[in-house]
Amino acid sequence: MPKHYRPPGKKKEGNAARYITRSQAVKHLQFSLSSRGDELLLQLILVRLCILKGIFPREPKKKVKGNHHTYYHMKDVMFLKHEPLLEKFRDMRAYEKKVKKALSKKNRDLAERLLTRKPTYTLDMLIRERYPSFIDALRDLDDCLTMVHLFAALPAIERDKIDVKRIHNCRRLSHEWQAYVSRTHKLRKTFISVKGIYYQAEVEGQKITWLTPHALQQVLPDVVDYNIMLTFLEFYETLLAFVNFKLYHSINVKYPPILDPQLEALAADLYALSRYLDANSKAPALESQAASSSGSEQAEAQENGTELEESELRLAQLQHQLPSNEPGALMHLVEDAPDEDEDDEETKECKTLFKNMKFFLSREVPRESLLFAIPAFGGVVSWEGEVSPFNESDQSITHQIVDRPTQGHRFLSREYVQPQWVYDCVNARIILPVEDYLWGRVPPPHLSPFVDNEAEGYVPEYAETIRRLQAAARKEVLPMPGLGKEDLDDPQNLLAEGIISRTEAIEAAERKRKMSILEKQYHDELKMELQGVQYSSVSNANKQNSAEDMEAGEKSLSDLQQVEKDHANIEKVVMSRKKRGLLEAMKIGQEAKRARVGLLKERKKRIEPKKSE
Amino acid sequence: MKVPREEKEMKLKKKEENVTNIEIDDKEGDADDAQEIHSGSDYDDDYNDEDLDEDEGTLTESGSEQSEFSENEEIVNASDDDGPTDDDDNSQQDHEGTNDDHSEQQDQNGSDEDHQGVDESDSSEDEVAPRNTIGDVPLVWYKDEEHIGYDITGKKIKKKERQDKLDSFLASADDSKNWRKIYDEYNDEEVELTKHEAKLIRRLLKGKAPHSDFDPYAPYVDWFAWEDSKYPLSNAPEPKRRFIPSKWESKKVVEYVRAIRKGLIKFDKPKEEPRFYHLWGDDSSSKEKTGHGLAYIPAPKPKFPGHEESYNPSLEYIPTQEEINSYQLMFEEDRPKFIPKRFTSLRSVPAYEKAVNETFERCLDLYLCPRVRKKRINIDPESLKPKLPSRKDLKPYPTTCYLEYRGHKGAVMSISTEASGQWIASGSSDGTVRIWEVESGRCLRIWELGEAVQHVAWNPAPDLPILAVSAEQYVFLLNTGFGNEEEQKRIKELLHVETPTGPDDSGNAASVVSWARDDIHKGVRLKHFKTVSSVEWHRKGDYFSTRLTQRLPFKLHGLPVSSTFHPTRSIFFISTKKNIRVYDLLKQKLIKKLETGLREVSSIAIHPGEKENLCWFDMDLSSKPYRVLKCHPKDVTSVAFHRSYPLFASCSDDCTAYVFHGMVYSDLNQNPLIVPLEILRGHASANGRGVMDCKFHPRQPWLFTAGADSVIKLYCH
Repeated sequence: MPKHYRPPGKKKEGNAARYITRSQAVKHLQFSLSSRGDELLLQLILVRLCILKGIFPREPKKKVKGNHHTYYHMKDVMFLKHEPLLEKFRDMRAYEKKVKKALSKKNRDLAERLLTRKPTYTLDMLIRERYPSFIDALRDLDDCLTMVHLFAALPAIERDKIDVKRIHNCRRLSHEWQAYVSRTHKLRKTFISVKGIYYQAEVEGQKITWLTPHALQQVLPDVVDYNIMLTFLEFYETLLAFVNFKLYHSINVKYPPILDPQLEALAADLYALSRYLDANSKAPALESQAASSSGSEQAEAQENGTELEESELRLAQLQHQLPSNEPGALMHLVEDAPDEDEDDEETKECKTLFKNMKFFLSREVPRESLLFAIPAFGGVVSWEGEVSPFNESDQSITHQIVDRPTQGHRFLSREYVQPQWVYDCVNARIILPVEDYLWGRVPPPHLSPFVDNEAEGYVPEYAETIRRLQAAARKEVLPMPGLGKEDLDDPQNLLAEGIISRTEAIEAAERKRKMSILEKQYHDELKMELQGVQYSSVSNANKQNSAEDMEAGEKSLSDLQQVEKDHANIEKVVMSRKKRGLLEAMKIGQEAKRARVGLLKERKKRIEPKKSE
Repeated sequence: MKVPREEKEMKLKKKEENVTNIEIDDKEGDADDAQEIHSGSDYDDDYNDEDLDEDEGTLTESGSEQSEFSENEEIVNASDDDGPTDDDDNSQQDHEGTNDDHSEQQDQNGSDEDHQGVDESDSSEDEVAPRNTIGDVPLVWYKDEEHIGYDITGKKIKKKERQDKLDSFLASADDSKNWRKIYDEYNDEEVELTKHEAKLIRRLLKGKAPHSDFDPYAPYVDWFAWEDSKYPLSNAPEPKRRFIPSKWESKKVVEYVRAIRKGLIKFDKPKEEPRFYHLWGDDSSSKEKTGHGLAYIPAPKPKFPGHEESYNPSLEYIPTQEEINSYQLMFEEDRPKFIPKRFTSLRSVPAYEKAVNETFERCLDLYLCPRVRKKRINIDPESLKPKLPSRKDLKPYPTTCYLEYRGHKGAVMSISTEASGQWIASGSSDGTVRIWEVESGRCLRIWELGEAVQHVAWNPAPDLPILAVSAEQYVFLLNTGFGNEEEQKRIKELLHVETPTGPDDSGNAASVVSWARDDIHKGVRLKHFKTVSSVEWHRKGDYFSTRLTQRLPFKLHGLPVSSTFHPTRSIFFISTKKNIRVYDLLKQKLIKKLETGLREVSSIAIHPGEKENLCWFDMDLSSKPYRVLKCHPKDVTSVAFHRSYPLFASCSDDCTAYVFHGMVYSDLNQNPLIVPLEILRGHASANGRGVMDCKFHPRQPWLFTAGADSVIKLYCH
């Protein structure tokens, strides 16, 4: 009797009925298509449908056909089979035949006319089906963004059907997304890796991470099946467009943004977009404010006293808005959004990181990335180019970002830093000292913000430094009893703004120094204590050991350790096999981690003497 | 006969003509229009010459003349001004002025032109007669020959000597006109292109007509229109269909009109609707299931980049060159996919070459990988360990080595404790059996049996202190000399019995065992025909079983490994490599078969009530092991139960002995309690064997272990 014997007349049951292999699934689709569709085309259609509908193989508990097959759930296959898109594909195929026929009959007119009215399909219902709510779509946006950003950097190739139009579309979509993130200050983390630049944004509570390749000529390998990638891209483009639409409307901006053609021509799309955003989101905000103010005036007539405060507040707001009507003020990419109160703590923090700083980008730095990152954290930025908002000789520039071994002409009023400084500041959320990042120097190591150093078990040296700086910065910001509100801000910044006088600034600075000294002392003590405890515990252990040695006579330290180990492991004997396996697997994992950390520490130790020499 | 000659002449003419033509062209480089007239005159001269040369004014000749003339005319046509004059020429030439003749001439003209065209194409050959006479055959046929055809006298036309490559190169380097020289393979000679030819080629390369004076856009000359044309070419009347509007066309028009009215045909292009809209309306709360009722498993997100992926990681993340080299020795799967690199500035970071590849792989993962929801537990591994009762509560149990009994020279194979617990007997592979006093460690007696002792067993009856020893093929029953005199007497009596077929035999046939008196050791010697590996006593001391390396006493599947009597009932256990069989001794039949499910059973021991084998069998419930304890990484050699304490021990070749607490409750609902208590170490390994045997003291919670390192150890609590 065969292994899976089913008596005649009995239906398939269980896994055998529920799951079918890939080739069976293809046959299922064939039935619905036509009797003589060739196999390859069907495979392609299955692939396309699977990609677009997000159907994936599943792992049945019992693999009836064997281990080396891919299994699809019957329901999934039926779901594909009833997809209206399948019918559309069929129509398109029939239409293609028509065109081909016309062409082969030399009826070019007909062929051209047919080609103008090609049947097309849209994917919006698929998106709606796959992501019933907006949050679902945001949750799945990682791959989408990575792919779109990658294609935005690829060259168009005729051979692989990578169209120029699609590449441009990808560029546009990616810039729209970046403009939104930058405008609403949702960017949280950045990381320059060898593979490209990673960004993490938090939109509606969803952490979205994506990778943009370095803006260089990309390598296009031959082994890649571009058809599959383009199918994915097709879906992702639609998805991202809808997401952008929703996001833009959430900040009262019309979606397909109309850009300044001059800026667009000079490939400053991102800047054009952010300008567009500024211009658009401001108008409705002003209108609404005007409406509310008129309404409140009526209310004011009724109850004067209570409204007084509110009207004052509004007046202040209006005054704040005023300068934005000036032509020059439009250059400030970052304006305080009217819905400031709705922002959460983190967004506020991000918004004010580069406040009152003006950046200028030299030619050699990655412009797009910095144009995206700096405004996202509240900075004002310009670059070397025709349409840039201000040029290099502007006296108010505080930082110039350079990446060259030597700098010829230098303005004394500004700092010359490497681009890594920006990214490190963003990750640390503090303004780091610029000394290490000056032009021509080798900057300190760039660390990944995605790593939890404590969980990893190894803290790189520079992470420790940054943490200390962060702690220092936070201490200072803590409100002190008996001091004014203005002390909440950084004294240096306030001085720059001219809000506090010089003496006050000096006071604050002194306080800061004292605090730092105290803190350092405390840290040192802590460290001493820690070391002391370790030392004493170690010595205690040693003493115990030696006493036991005396008692046991020939018993060596290893024996003792053996005994300890025995005691620890003795429970393992009565554990069930499954649990024991689990425990051992965990042990192996921990061991591997420890080995990794050990390797790092060892390398570190090896490097250190070299450095000191 | 005339014709060929004439043709030849024609050819000659042509050549002349061509030459002149070329000359003209050369001149034409300077001035075009002026030359044209010249050329005309030239042709006229030619024509005159020809006239002079040829005596016969035959029709054929006139044909040739015509050809000449036509060429002339062609040129004339190109320049309109000369038209009338040439026409005059034409009229002069015509013998008859009739139209028919004229048309005939035209036809001739056409054919001649064709002929000329062919001639002109290989005009270079015409200049000089081709040396080659092989005709139009592939040159490969003559590749190995020394000649290229025969001349008119029938002599071979020799090929030229092949020039040395170096020489030819040198010659070519010296010659400034080298670029004009072309090797003609057909004629086997070098041809130097004239200026004119080069020009022709240049024009051809540009896609122009080779002759500069050729006008591709000459005005059309309607040959059918002539001045006094009275009659049409065709006399047929115009057909009717030329005057009636087409029926099918009108039908088509009606069709189109209808389609337009119905709106099937639209002229303006469909308006571009905005493609994007509020897909997720305001109701973001609708929590539908996926369309087909199956759970959607979101794809796992890609791993976040670590410090090592940074373009400028800390130095300790960068592997040394040796480490990178060592990666090459690793398996493909283990090899790290990403090797950290360090760039000192951002501008030196190149494009990542695997960017597209990795995205593609991610795509493949997304639609090809089966997805399963797996629960990832994030717990402390310590919490997986079962909660066991504190070991302090389960005291006493053996913990530390208290005494060592040294004296054996070889591995101690077996030990046995006396019923009172005062003595232990040990058998070693050096052929000695020793009796030790437990508390002092003194060796009381030594028997030299001469054969490696496999197993020793003390009679469990306290009044019969007899020791059964198995060594090779013999089983010795030894009088230990303990007990009072009465007992001694009884033992001596018992051992003196010299019956050929022993009543005490454990059911073996007489032929299997032979009894003999052993005077040296004051005991009985039983000789089996095969090696005896162990001997066990019944609880009352009346019977003992011997185990042979061959199956014999009972019919068993496989080799018997170990056997025991039940401590309280008359049941006999015998284990083979896989199973344990239980026999009822009274009825002499098989009661039960216990399946261990293990690969090999090495030892069994019976608890009062229960039985264990590092599989813990429950006799009453099922034939499957109650529990399998896996503690030794190597073979288990022996297990032992304590008679009164709830203890059992196992020892193994890994030089350790485990002590367990094994409590069985009389309440059958309560599960038996097994707690591992202690791992006893101390023995050293010898010949790959570790601890050979372990036995409990009958009354105290002490454990004796016999090691392959010829030491017996006593562990006390």
